[in-house]
Amino acid sequence: MKETSKTNWKTTLFIIGALTPAMLVSLGLVVYPMINQIIRSFKDPKAGTFTFDNYVYLFTNKVSSRAIWYTVEISVLTVLLTISISYLLAMYLRFSNSKISKSIGNMYLLPRFIPSLVAVYAMKQIISDSGFLNRVSLLFDENSPLYNYKPGMLYNTKGILFMNCWFNIPFATMIIVAALAGISESVVESAQDVGAGKIRIFFKIILPLSYKDVLIAATFVFMSNISSFTTPYLIGASQRKMLGVYLREQFGRGKYEIAAATSVIIFILCSISAVVYLYTNMKEQAWEEN
Amino acid sequence: MEENKTANDTMQTERTVNPYSAKAVRRALGRKRTGELLILFVFMLFFYGPLIHAFMLAFANVYQAGDIIPSEWGFHWWSYILKQQNIPRSILNSFLFAFCSTGLSMLICIPAAYVLARFKFKGRKLIMFSFLIGNAFPKIGMYTAIGIIYYKIGLMGTFFGVLLIHMLGTTMEMIWLPAGSFRSVPKHQEEAARDAGAGPVRTFFSVTLPIAWPGIVVAAMHAFIGSLGESVGTLLVGLPQWRTMMTEMYGVILDFPATAGAVFAIIIVVPNMLLLWIMRKYVSADTMAKGFKMG
Repeated sequence: MKETSKTNWKTTLFIIGALTPAMLVSLGLVVYPMINQIIRSFKDPKAGTFTFDNYVYLFTNKVSSRAIWYTVEISVLTVLLTISISYLLAMYLRFSNSKISKSIGNMYLLPRFIPSLVAVYAMKQIISDSGFLNRVSLLFDENSPLYNYKPGMLYNTKGILFMNCWFNIPFATMIIVAALAGISESVVESAQDVGAGKIRIFFKIILPLSYKDVLIAATFVFMSNISSFTTPYLIGASQRKMLGVYLREQFGRGKYEIAAATSVIIFILCSISAVVYLYTNMKEQAWEEN
Repeated sequence: MEENKTANDTMQTERTVNPYSAKAVRRALGRKRTGELLILFVFMLFFYGPLIHAFMLAFANVYQAGDIIPSEWGFHWWSYILKQQNIPRSILNSFLFAFCSTGLSMLICIPAAYVLARFKFKGRKLIMFSFLIGNAFPKIGMYTAIGIIYYKIGLMGTFFGVLLIHMLGTTMEMIWLPAGSFRSVPKHQEEAARDAGAGPVRTFFSVTLPIAWPGIVVAAMHAFIGSLGESVGTLLVGLPQWRTMMTEMYGVILDFPATAGAVFAIIIVVPNMLLLWIMRKYVSADTMAKGFKMG
């Protein structure tokens, strides 16, 4: 008895000792700033008293309320676009054994290692109205409808969505490929033997076994786009701002209370999707334990 | 694509076989093959096209409007970029922050990751989740929140302040991935070492760590690349005292000629590609995807 209680005491101390530095970093850099931010968002900038004015301002001011809805719109569209493309790509990578599929499988992760600024820069040189696409179109006959084609994708929604696909498809594909790898060939084959068609196999076997990971991918894509800054800052429209750009602007002007309320709104939008993530993860754990 | 279509049309009207028409290609390769090649083509064009194009621009001395291929090649813009006052210093700063934040977060996080993987205790999941929040939650919201506190305590524009911002990103990376690989170390191997008389410290360093090492290396690489690529946080709390390659890149994109930007883009990407090449054995979709699930 004595021996076990001694080791338990030691183990507890070890656990605490090993966790403390990391917890301090997380408390100091995540929890404390977040609480501080929430409190500040309810403060009057001059009097320092409790008020809802910052939120009222954000939802009634034309620029900021448009920014909120625009951000949600872009994020939802990005999730729908990237998840559907990624799912198709992941299915192709998983169920095709050809050389082409393998080479794409080796290459599709690279964009994750390209800094976002470099990627935005490189894409900008292609899709700007005097960019590479335009230069190629000048090769066509002058009467051709393709001659002097201007993509018109910079500084608007199309450009942001296009760029978001570049950033998010590799990530979402990676998550879905990992999920599909868990579906054994024999399950699919035995379904085929019974005579199930491709569509049936997809809806009865593949989709049910992978939708949780699809939700996880969707959550992360949604969260990263709600707070995106670089893409909308460099290729978004100047009249229609996303929340990230708006937030930096308010911060730069020293309007800390408005900035705080803006980031709380961003936090709340993300928590909604974080709940989805937690819920699916917990369910999966419970399922594995049984 | 368009060319193929028109070629196809002419083939049908003239009744001659054009070996380059879409139909001929499809017949030669089979439908499946054609479809796959099309996927590869679109994939390469979309993901790699912009990068290859930027690479070309970096070696273009003269690139006039309307040209597809530069009319003069050379290193003119390389010397232009390297002669800029702030840029060499910013490159140095980037590596300084990347080394410091990766090293520090390894020291702090590996013990924590080990404990989170090996011991079951109350609040374990909550702690795991709290590390996830820092990374998955809106970065820009976190940065402004930290920035406001920095103003109060005088950390704005300091080395330590920027280092902490970089560690915000590297910490989660260094907890989740290593925790996953510690979990995959078979417990009986550790127990066997303990039975043979090795102490817990020796067991950790001679049994556990070597097996978990690949996961830790991948995590460290991610942390390093993440820190090199950190832009928004440094922009908010570091400027004007601490500039990194990334904060300079904003200015380069907005103010410099496209060819100069391409040179700087390559300078930024090369370290990442080198690291990726060195670590290619360890990097797979599977190890990376693991980091996004709770265990």
